[in-house]
Amino acid sequence: MNIIVEKNWDNHPHIALVKLNRPKVLNALSTDLMNELIEALFKLEDDQEVRVIILTGDDRAFAAGADIAEMVEHTPVDKIMENRFRAWSQLPLIGKPIIAAVSGFALGGGCELAMACDMIIAGDNAKFGQPEISIGAMPGAGGTQRLTRIIGKSKAMMMNLTGEMIDAKKAYDWGLVAKVVPAETLLQETFEIAKKIAAKAPVAVRLAKESINRAYETTLKEGMEFERRNFYLTFSSSDQKEGMRAFLEKREAKYTGR
Amino acid sequence: MSTNFEFIKYEEQGATGVITINRPEVYNALSRAAKLEIIKALRDANRSPGIRTLVIAAEGKAFCTGQDLNDRTVQANEGQKIDLGNTLETEWNPLVKAIRSSSKPVIAAVQGVVAGAGVSVALACDLIIAKAGVKFVSGFTRLGLCPDAGSSFILGRAIGDKKALEFFLLGEPLMSDFLVEKGLINCLSDSPLDNALAWASKINNLSPKSTSLVKRNLQNAVESSYEDSMNNETAAQRHLGNSEEYQEGLKAFFEKREPKFH
Repeated sequence: MNIIVEKNWDNHPHIALVKLNRPKVLNALSTDLMNELIEALFKLEDDQEVRVIILTGDDRAFAAGADIAEMVEHTPVDKIMENRFRAWSQLPLIGKPIIAAVSGFALGGGCELAMACDMIIAGDNAKFGQPEISIGAMPGAGGTQRLTRIIGKSKAMMMNLTGEMIDAKKAYDWGLVAKVVPAETLLQETFEIAKKIAAKAPVAVRLAKESINRAYETTLKEGMEFERRNFYLTFSSSDQKEGMRAFLEKREAKYTGR
Repeated sequence: MSTNFEFIKYEEQGATGVITINRPEVYNALSRAAKLEIIKALRDANRSPGIRTLVIAAEGKAFCTGQDLNDRTVQANEGQKIDLGNTLETEWNPLVKAIRSSSKPVIAAVQGVVAGAGVSVALACDLIIAKAGVKFVSGFTRLGLCPDAGSSFILGRAIGDKKALEFFLLGEPLMSDFLVEKGLINCLSDSPLDNALAWASKINNLSPKSTSLVKRNLQNAVESSYEDSMNNETAAQRHLGNSEEYQEGLKAFFEKREPKFH
């Protein structure tokens, strides 16, 4: 099993933990692992109880890239025919928020996978990098695209062309990660953030996630229009009524996800 | 654990790992190989569950006099370029970082002169015990170089940029007595190693989880804001609050006895 899924993580009914589980190879992202991951994520997407997904590796590595052993002798035709990125292309179809909890290395495909999540929380031992250039290749799953949109061209060039890693603090300063915490406390602190999100109205969370992701895909004008429609759409949910009433009545809201 | 080192000695006294720099014939100047041995000893000890504190000591008259200038890679020859940046990136900086990032506290027992990047190594340690009258010498500017391996940062912050500049430019050594006053050295002792070992055995009785987070939170605090520092403390405390060690600590408190964390 390359993936371990724990629903009701830490006894929370709405939080699921997904763990990359190839510790011997620093969680290298083999095609099998990616297929299992996307399958697991779609199951959680369909599960009405789950509201937030945390994706993590182990202490040493979130994921140290693709499985080099698997591809050293590949030809372009192999790559095309295996449709290696099918699983990757499906990641944006998950509507629930996915938080990457990164301890240790997030390199190559590992960095790309973390960036494909909705936010990254890093342990203070985290290292991010796109080292593909050092083995005569380049990123193939967002390392030149998502990274550039997040940290900007010049820094993305430096990371991609030198292959050098950056540490958690720099990743935070550059806007790649949302929060840095002591490594030992990573899962707990990520859980605290997940808990806050899980307590919000699921429909609004989905629509907000969708709107933010749209910001990277479109012009500001169209993005603003998209946002506004999603804003209007929240008013069709009973959770919006409940949320606003609870606010006025100074009590905790009870959301149903409808 | 393997103790097959050439330039250092490594021995374990209970839960304390003692690294002794052992090149007295060159006043404990560090060649590339010597530095890599210290890094290896630090990393191995960090992985060893039986070790809870580390001590760095030295053989002979000097504690550490920095770069071994006999190393060919640091000798500038006419017409041939050398890269001291690489010496820092692959030797000194990793050494200093291995000390700083060690989750187990590192205590320096400074019995003799400290010079050049040796100052960085000593000051990177978490606790420092030195003999009275020990000289800390910069020496870089006499060679036409600048202080490195973190000494600008640590000295600049601890004694202020004016005093640090005086130290770097005018060649006067800083005495261990002065550094105690400035809080850069913990205390003076006639027998720094014995003192360091005594402190180590006290720390060995503490909860390792708590010790390592105390160290990291302080390091982070010096480099970040009040707000960030409090966030780190909060995260650490939330984590420690659920540890078995805290259960034991609380129990011992109410039973009016010493806690047993191991």
